[in-house]
Amino acid sequence: MSANDPSDTILFAERPEWADLTPVSQYENIQPLAPIFYKPEYKDATDYFRGVVKIGEMSPRVLALTETIIRLNPAHYSAWQYRYQTLLATNSSLSAELELTNELTKAYIKTYQVWHHRRLLLTKLNDPVPELAFIEDALTLDAKNYHTWSYRQWLLAHYDRAEMWAGELPFVERLLEEDVRNNSAWHHRFFVVFERGAEAGEDIVKRELAFAKEKIALAPNNNSAWNYLRGVLDHSHVPYASQTAFVKLYVSASAPQTGTDEVVDLENPLPAQGAELPCAAAIEFLADIYEAEGKAGLSRAVPLWKSLGDEHDTIRKKYWEYRIREATAAAQTS
Amino acid sequence: MSKPVVIPPLTQKGHAAHCNRCLAGLPASLLDLDGSRMAISFYCLGTLDITGLVDQKITDTDRESWKEWIWDQQAGGVYGSGFRPGPFMTTTENQPSQHLATYSNDYSTPHIIMTYCALLSLAILRDDFTKLDRKGLLQFLRSCQGADGSFSTIPGAGDGDLRMTYCAFAISALLNDWSGIDAPRAFAYLRRCRTYEGGYGQSPTCEAIGGPTYCALASVYLAPPHLAMPLTPAERKQTTRWLLQTQNETGGLSGRTGKLADACYCFWCSASLDILGDRALLNTPAMAAFLASCQFNFGGIAKAPGTTPDPYHTYLSLAAVAIAPPETEDGSWRLQPLNTLINATTDTVKWAKEHIPARAY
Ligand SMILES: [Zn+2]
Repeated sequence: MSANDPSDTILFAERPEWADLTPVSQYENIQPLAPIFYKPEYKDATDYFRGVVKIGEMSPRVLALTETIIRLNPAHYSAWQYRYQTLLATNSSLSAELELTNELTKAYIKTYQVWHHRRLLLTKLNDPVPELAFIEDALTLDAKNYHTWSYRQWLLAHYDRAEMWAGELPFVERLLEEDVRNNSAWHHRFFVVFERGAEAGEDIVKRELAFAKEKIALAPNNNSAWNYLRGVLDHSHVPYASQTAFVKLYVSASAPQTGTDEVVDLENPLPAQGAELPCAAAIEFLADIYEAEGKAGLSRAVPLWKSLGDEHDTIRKKYWEYRIREATAAAQTS
Repeated sequence: MSKPVVIPPLTQKGHAAHCNRCLAGLPASLLDLDGSRMAISFYCLGTLDITGLVDQKITDTDRESWKEWIWDQQAGGVYGSGFRPGPFMTTTENQPSQHLATYSNDYSTPHIIMTYCALLSLAILRDDFTKLDRKGLLQFLRSCQGADGSFSTIPGAGDGDLRMTYCAFAISALLNDWSGIDAPRAFAYLRRCRTYEGGYGQSPTCEAIGGPTYCALASVYLAPPHLAMPLTPAERKQTTRWLLQTQNETGGLSGRTGKLADACYCFWCSASLDILGDRALLNTPAMAAFLASCQFNFGGIAKAPGTTPDPYHTYLSLAAVAIAPPETEDGSWRLQPLNTLINATTDTVKWAKEHIPARAY
């Protein structure tokens, strides 16, 4: 049923095929809180829906009825819930339902219920592979939609099939190609690489560090990439100090000149031409490295925090002052 | 150096008026709120409460009929009792009376988020809670908890996430009775939601985001000592860092790394900082200036400047301000103090804690 379908405008109360059902109107006392001025077609459809639920009817016409309600109010969770049970009770084709849900998912992409319905269908259909392409397509509508990403992560974790995991890194890379600041894509990468259950080996950690640094080089002021770099190091218990040479390249006010005879250093990629430097995230990172040295590093960390508070990240001035206080106090007691 | 921030006045009366209008009625364009009317009502009543205008704006007649409307949504059945979002699935044949309404199918059960909202709304209206089915409510909490420790919106839905974990913890705290939940299992689930960034995702494997981070932290700090599962010092530090990072050059806070600032996340993230004891580290004047710019000329606060206001963003913006109001000469930013863990004014939470728990008579 499309919005232009003339059959849509015929109320259920006027449809002969529904004449046998007694509609049940909503009970509301005299002075309700936040009443909604219902459209006539919504009142009509929900009157019939309450009538259906009351007698427990589960039939093909209930599918038409619940679809009407869902299109008027996609957050009507009872309609979704009843629809799903009706699909099962009537032995309806769940692939056909998934087909319809494709359209509904894109139309109501921010609604919890449509994604939950999809999840229920998949659990019955057990055919997750085509879903990956559907999700990638849905992400073209909204590349950071939380429900869409959650669904992809659920799908991968729930089915845990090697052939599904296999395409995930190229998929993330396609998305980061479009927007290197898409934190959802960064998060997904972390999930795919480190949260599959198997421990990520040394070579994988090395690969991920190189990946994050390559992206930082392209756009240094990108918290997503820096958080990822930190995440990889934390996860694999590698000290931040291992990145000192790299981070220093982003702390100075101007990009270092590349000599023609220099080989490209994959571990320490240089900032892209025109990158805005110095980079606050790099200053913070370097200060963390010095702080971890204890008393000895304090005198080098403090000026960095000061520069963040006074110049490079003034909105968080109070935080940087706090960091100075904390580190100073820690050095005195150690 | 940052310029000193100029903070325009907070137009409290206008925001209260916006919410009063919504309590009176919502347009058909907001049909999709039909299944969450209790939540909208809570944001509206919360706005009147936090601006200190409940007595001035709510007549005695309204107060009584609104309380009655809320109690009409309490229903009991095989899963226990709690509150429904509104009457959208009740029928004239099943009219509530003074006695507890009943549900006889899985399609009109109570809803855990709406139950949390209803309890606080009743407390704002200073109800005496004699009608509360406490035993049934504990049973309802049990019916919502799944094997993985999460809580679903309605029994058996299997849609668990941290929002409902928080509601279960807040309801237990209000009841002063933790027998309705399996706390160790709930914490096991909660911990799986933590991400490498230091925030919490809405469910395990999901990206760190402000709302669920508040839900996780508030749950951790609401739990009584014998059930508590505190964060490690390293986790706390990392979470504070991530929360502070959500404040961007607009002064507003975003829900996730690199996203645009949004008024509701000014609450979720700053309240999270408050829970951790680190609220003072946030740039309060900059956040207030952002929220001021989200104010709509005719009342209400929107998620971002130039967008349409709604009760959700209005209430949460005010709640964010109430935690740590900026110093201004006109005093317009002064609000009723907030209980951050329960998310209602301290007076309302005091009332709730005096009247909701079962009493030995
Ligand atoms: Zn928002």
